[in-house]
Amino acid sequence: MAQSKKEAVNRRGFLKGAAASAAAGAAALAGVPAIEEAQQVPAGGGRGAAGAGGGAAPVAPAPTQDQINRDTGNVRPPAAAGGRAITRAGSDLMVQVIRDLGIEYAAANPGSSFEGLQESFINYGAVPNKTPEWITALHEESAVTMAHGYGKAEGKPMLAVLHGTIGIQHAAMSIYQAYHGRVPVLMIGGLDPDGPVAQHNAADLAGMVRSFTKWDAQPTTLPETLTALQRAYNEAITPPQGPTMVVINSRLQKMEAGNLALPAYTPPKYPTVDASTAKTIAQGLVNANNPRIAVGRLRTPQGVKLSIELAELTGASTSTTATGGPMSFPQRHPLCGNGADTTYDYTLGLEAGGAQASLTGPALSTITAERDTAHIGFNGIQGGGGGRGGGGRAGAGGGNAIGPTDAEASLPAIIEQVKLLLTADKKRTIAERTAKHAAANQTARVTGIQQAVLTKRAGWDGSPVGTARIYAELWPLIMNEDWCLSSPSNFSGGHHAQLWDHNKPYSYLGGQDAGGMGYGAPASVGAALAAKNRGRIVINVQTDGDLNYAPGVLWTAVHHRLPLLTIMHNNRAWHQELMYVEYMAGVRGRGTNRGFIGSSLRDPFIDYNKMAAGYGMKSEPAPISDPKLLAAALKRGVDIVKKGEPYMIDVITQPR
Amino acid sequence: MNQTSKITVGILIIAVVAIAVHAQAPAGGGRGGGRGAVANNPAPTSPATGNAVTGKKLYYDYSCYGCHGYNGETGARAFVGNWGNLQTEAGFVAFLRLRGDQNPAAPSTGMPNFPVSTMSDAQAKDIYAYIRTFKSNAPELKDIPALNAIVAGANKPYKP
Repeated sequence: MAQSKKEAVNRRGFLKGAAASAAAGAAALAGVPAIEEAQQVPAGGGRGAAGAGGGAAPVAPAPTQDQINRDTGNVRPPAAAGGRAITRAGSDLMVQVIRDLGIEYAAANPGSSFEGLQESFINYGAVPNKTPEWITALHEESAVTMAHGYGKAEGKPMLAVLHGTIGIQHAAMSIYQAYHGRVPVLMIGGLDPDGPVAQHNAADLAGMVRSFTKWDAQPTTLPETLTALQRAYNEAITPPQGPTMVVINSRLQKMEAGNLALPAYTPPKYPTVDASTAKTIAQGLVNANNPRIAVGRLRTPQGVKLSIELAELTGASTSTTATGGPMSFPQRHPLCGNGADTTYDYTLGLEAGGAQASLTGPALSTITAERDTAHIGFNGIQGGGGGRGGGGRAGAGGGNAIGPTDAEASLPAIIEQVKLLLTADKKRTIAERTAKHAAANQTARVTGIQQAVLTKRAGWDGSPVGTARIYAELWPLIMNEDWCLSSPSNFSGGHHAQLWDHNKPYSYLGGQDAGGMGYGAPASVGAALAAKNRGRIVINVQTDGDLNYAPGVLWTAVHHRLPLLTIMHNNRAWHQELMYVEYMAGVRGRGTNRGFIGSSLRDPFIDYNKMAAGYGMKSEPAPISDPKLLAAALKRGVDIVKKGEPYMIDVITQPR
Repeated sequence: MNQTSKITVGILIIAVVAIAVHAQAPAGGGRGGGRGAVANNPAPTSPATGNAVTGKKLYYDYSCYGCHGYNGETGARAFVGNWGNLQTEAGFVAFLRLRGDQNPAAPSTGMPNFPVSTMSDAQAKDIYAYIRTFKSNAPELKDIPALNAIVAGANKPYKP
C-alpha cells in the first residue's frame, strides 16, 4: 500500500467517509441510491466488525484534526532552536553499519515502523540510496524471497525490512524457505511503540518466526543496535547459514546519536580443519593414484574458486551439484566428471558426505534445539553429513565426516599443504592424469549431449509447446552470455540439467528449498538484482500457479530495470496436485474426471501478457502455443533483457 | 497440496536430483530422464473399436494429458513409441482397473485407478481409439537447428 500503515485504519475510514459523502450528494442529484452506502464501514469498525445486514446505514466517523493534518501533508516536525532537531540520526548510523558490511540492496514494502530508517537509506551519505539501494517490494513475502534468490546467487545477504507483526507474518513463509535452504538473509523488523495501530507491535517481535531464523535480537539502545546488525550479518553468513533478524525500535531510529562512534567490525570465524588434518588430507590427495573430490554446495563463489584450485593442483576428478543448485564445481571444467578411471583410491568431500574425508558444515539440526520455540520439530532437518547440496557421494570409501567443518574455510590450509607436497615428479604425474581425465570427461559430455538431444526431439512440433523445447531453444541464445537460471525447474522437466553447461556459481539456483510456492518470480527478481551491475542476465521459467501468489513483483522488476527474462510455463493447472486428487478419486472409485476442480486455472484462462502490461513489463503480443513461433520470441526476449529491461513471454505449454 | 506435502515432495525431489547428479554428473545430468524419450517401438496394429472423436474429449476430461501430454509424447510418461500397456484394447482396459485397492499413504502422482464405476468400458475404448491416433512429432535431428547448436556447443572447449 502506498500510505503509511500507521494511519491506515483511520485513514481508510476518513477516505471512505469522504467518498460516501460525495457519492451520496451525487446520488441525491441523480435520484438514485448511492451504491457506496452498502459498502460503508461501520463507525469504529474495521474488518470483522460489521454487523450482518439490516439497520441504518452507518456513518463514518469524522476525521480528527491530526488525521486531517497528516492526510493533507501538514504534519511538520517540531521546530528546534538554531536548526534541525536531529543532526545525526540513529538510523544514519544504522545505515552506515549496513553500508560498511557491503549490503547492496534493501527490499521493503512501506511501513511506519521504519520511516526513520527508510529516510536514512534514501537520503543519508555522500551517495545516498546506493549500497544499499532501496528496493520497492509490493509484498513482504516478495521482499524476503528476493533476498533468498540474491543470497543464492551471490552467497551473501541482502536486506529485507519488515513492518511489525503484519510485515513479519507476510514474510513468514519466505523466511521459512530461506531457513531450510540455509541461505543468508539479513532482516530488520520495525517496531513502533508510538504508532496508533497497537496490533502492529509485539513484546517479542521476532518470536513469531524464531523457530526458523538462525538468530535474532531486539536491542534497547543505539549502540546495541549497531553491534546487533553486525552480529546478525555474521550469523547469517556462518554455517549453518540462514535468515537473521534485528528488531529495531523506531525511537532508536529517530534519536540523536550525538558523538556515538561506529563499532569496529570483526569478521566471523569459521570452523576449519586443524593443520594436522589439513596435512593428512593433502597427503591423501597428492599420494593417491586416482584421487576424487566431491563438491557439494559451498558458501560463496570464493569457495568454488578454491575448489577448482585444489582439483587442478591434485589432478583429481570431481563431481558437482551445479545442475541442482548454486555454488558448486563448474560442470564443464575438464576435471568434472567420472574421469578416465573410476577406481578412486582417495576421496574428499567438500560439503558432500560419504568420502574418506568429508568436510561438512554444521547442520541446521545443531541449532534447532535452541531456536525451535514453536516446536515445529526440526531435529531431523536436512544437512547432517549431506553437505549444503543435500547429499552426494564421493565414490569409494566408507565415509568419514570431519566436522562440523566448513569446507570453504578449510580449503586454504589444505591447498597450502598440497603445494608443499608437490614435487616435480608429482606434478608430471598429475598433469598426465589431468589430461586423461579431461579427454574422458569431454567424451562423456559430448556423448551425453548427443543422447540427450535425441530424447528432446519428442513432441518437438507438438502444440502446446513442450517444456524440453523451451530449454533447448533457449540454450543456443544464452550459451555465450553470462546467465543465471533462477527458477526451480522441477515442475518444468529440468531439461537444462541435460542440455546446458552450469559453469558459474550462480548458473542454477535450485529449488524452492521448502517446497513453498510463490517463490520463482521473487527469487528471480533477487537474482536479477545480483545480476544487474554484473553484466549478467537472468532466466526465469515461471510456472503459472507459482506466479499468482504475489505477481506484484513483476512491477519491482520493471521499476528497478532488471535484466530478467520471464518465460511462462503456462500449463493452466497445478498438475501435480491434480494427479493427487485423480489418484484418490480412482482409489475411491468415483469421479476420476473431476480432479480438475480446485487444481486447474481455467474458466477463465489467465492472460499473462495483460498481467505484465498492467505492471509495465514488456511482453510478446500474444501467448505462444505454436512451437514454431518460440525461437524468435525467445531471441527478442534475450535481446531486450541484455539491454537491461525485463521481458515476458507467455508460452502455453504441455503440462510437464 | 498442503504445505507439508509440498515440502515432502520438494525434499524428495532435491534428494533424488542430488543423488542422481552426483552419480552421473556431468554427462547427461540426473534430471529429466525418462521424460519425453523418443522410442522407436512401432505403434500397435491391434483393433481399436472405440470412437476417437469421443475419446479426445474423454482424454481431456479425465486429465490423461496431465501425465502423458496433449500428444502422448511428453510429460511424466510419454507413450508414443513406448506403447507398453497400450498394445491391445483389452489390455488397456484391464490396465485402467488395476489399482483399485491401492491407497497410498503419501500423495501419489502414479497412474490412477479407473474403475468401471467412474469410467465405462465403452469410454475406455473411446480413449484408446483416440490414443491410437497419436504419432511422433519428433523431426530428424538434422532438421532441428537448436539441438544441433547444442551439440556443437558441447564440442567447444571449456571457457572459465
